[in-house]
Amino acid sequence: MTTDRTVAGSPAELAAPGASIVVDHVSRWYGNVVAVNDISFSLSAGVTGLLGPNGAGKTTLLHLISGLLRPSAGGVTVAGVPAWRHPAMYRHVGLVPEREAVHGYLTAREFVLLNARLQGVVNAEAATQRVIATVELQDAADRPINTYSKGMRQRAKVAGALVHDPAVLLLDEPFNGMDPRQRLHMMGLLRGMAAAGRTILFSSHILEEVERMADSVLVIHAGRLAASGDFRSIRRLMTDRPHTFTIRSSDDRRLAAALLADPAVFGAELGDGKLSVRTADFEGFGRALPRLARVAGISLFEITPTDESLESVFSYLVRR
Amino acid sequence: MITRMPLIAVTLRGVLGRRRTWLMILLASLPVLVALLIRAGGGQPNATTILDTLLIRTVMPLLALVFGTAALGSELEDGTAIYLMVKPIPRWHILLAKMAVAASLTIALVFPVTVLTGLITDGRDALSLAEILGYALVVSAGGAAYACAFVALSAFTGRALILGLGYVLLWEGVLSGLLEGTRFLSIRQASLGLAAQVTGNVTTPPALDLATSAAILVAVVAGAILLGSMRLSRFEIRGSDG
Repeated sequence: MTTDRTVAGSPAELAAPGASIVVDHVSRWYGNVVAVNDISFSLSAGVTGLLGPNGAGKTTLLHLISGLLRPSAGGVTVAGVPAWRHPAMYRHVGLVPEREAVHGYLTAREFVLLNARLQGVVNAEAATQRVIATVELQDAADRPINTYSKGMRQRAKVAGALVHDPAVLLLDEPFNGMDPRQRLHMMGLLRGMAAAGRTILFSSHILEEVERMADSVLVIHAGRLAASGDFRSIRRLMTDRPHTFTIRSSDDRRLAAALLADPAVFGAELGDGKLSVRTADFEGFGRALPRLARVAGISLFEITPTDESLESVFSYLVRR
Repeated sequence: MITRMPLIAVTLRGVLGRRRTWLMILLASLPVLVALLIRAGGGQPNATTILDTLLIRTVMPLLALVFGTAALGSELEDGTAIYLMVKPIPRWHILLAKMAVAASLTIALVFPVTVLTGLITDGRDALSLAEILGYALVVSAGGAAYACAFVALSAFTGRALILGLGYVLLWEGVLSGLLEGTRFLSIRQASLGLAAQVTGNVTTPPALDLATSAAILVAVVAGAILLGSMRLSRFEIRGSDG
C-alpha cells in the first residue's frame, strides 16, 4: 500500500528523480530467519517515520540503509552511492544509532569535534560550536559524556550526526530519554531540516511522535513493508476497513434513517447524544452526507472521523 | 593522514584508562623489579635470561595482547566503533590507526624496560650498551608484531583476548617446545631468533636465523594489515534485531 512522497514497488518506479534513498528489493536473513523481506521504496526530501512492532525489522532496515549490514539480496543506494562497502556515502549521511554507547570519556564537544574531523569538515571547531548550540547542549558540552543523562547523550549523538550538515539523516529511536521540551525542540529542528531539503528517516515506536512529525510513514511488519506514504491516504486505501464517523446534528435519528438508505453507508448507531456511522466509501460519504442532510432539513454541527489516527492505521496494518 | 590523527587520539584516550595504564606499567616493570631483587639479594642477574624468559616470553606478548584487543576489540564490543565506521574514510585507515596505537604503547613500555633491565644486570652474560639497544629494538619489533596481530584478531572475534592468550600460552608456550615446525608460526620464536643475533647466544634448539626471523615478523604485520582490513571493510553491526 503506497501513496505520494514515498514510492514503493517496481525498479522503474524506484528511479524517482531526486530520490535520496533507494531501497531496491532488499532482503536480509540470518540463517533461516528473515529479518527484512524483499522491501522496496524510495525517499526524497522530507520526514519519514519508520514504524513497526518490536522485532519487525526497523533497526535492520536502518542498518542496511546506513551500510552497516550487507543485504542478502537487493541493493540500497543513498545519495546515488551504494550503501554497502562505500564509505564515501557517509559524506551525505548522518546516523544516530539506537544504542546508547558513546565514547564516555570524551566530552560532548570532543565527541562532536571528532565526528567533524573524521568527516573532513573544513572549520571543524566552528561547526562543532554551531551544532552544540543547535541541540542546546552548551552548558554541559565540556563535561564527559559518561556523566550525562540518557536524553543528553541522545542530543550529543544527534549533534555528532549533524555536524557535517548531511543531506540524509537516519535516526533510530531518536527521542528515547528526552524530556517533552527536548522532544519538541528536536522535532522542530528535524522538521526545519526537512523543509530545507534534507531527507530524514527516523524509527519510533511512539505513534504520537510519528504523527506529529512525519510527512509520511513506512510501516514494517514481520520484515515486510506493509504500507508507505501519508498515513491518512493509506487509511483511504483500506477499503476492507469501514471508516467510522461520529456526527452531531439537529436530528440524529432522522439523519441516521436517511443515511442508511444510502448504499455507501452500512451501519449507524445512536448513543451518548451522538450518531456513529460506518461507511466503506470515504469520499462518497463525504459527498452524500451534506446532500442528504439538506434534503431532510437537518443541520450538521460536527463531523469527526474516529479511526483516522495513525494509531488506527497502524493497528489495522499490523493485524492484517 | 589528517583523518588518521583524530582516530589515533581517540584510540589513545580509550586505551589509556587509568587502571589499565597502571596495571600495564606494573606488568612491564616486572623484568626491572626481578633484576633489582636479584641484585639486592647479592646475586648477579643474567641479562639474557631475564630478557628472554620474562620479557620476550611473557611481558611483551601480554602487553601487546591487552593494548591490541583494547584498541579495536573493546570499541567493537561496546558499540562505540560505529561512530568511526560511519565516516567517509577507508576502513584500513581505522585499522592502521588502531595498530599504530597498540604497537606504539607496547614499544613505549618494552623499549625502556629492556634498556633499564640491561643496565641493571651485570652477570655472566652482561650486555654492552649497543647490545642492549639492539635488544630493545628487537623487543620493539616483536611487540609491534604481536600488537598488530591482536588488533587484527579482534576485528574477527569478540573473544580476541582469550584466543590471544591461548596463542601465547598454548601455541607458543607449549606446542612450539614439542613440535619444531610450529616455530615458524611463532612471533616469540622470531623475536628470540633476532635477539640471539644481537647477543650471540647459542641456544638449544638453535634459534631461527636472522632472515627467517625477520621474514616471520614482516609476514605477521603484513598479514594482520591485509586480513584485518578485509574484515573491517565488511564490518557488519551486531544486534540488528529491531
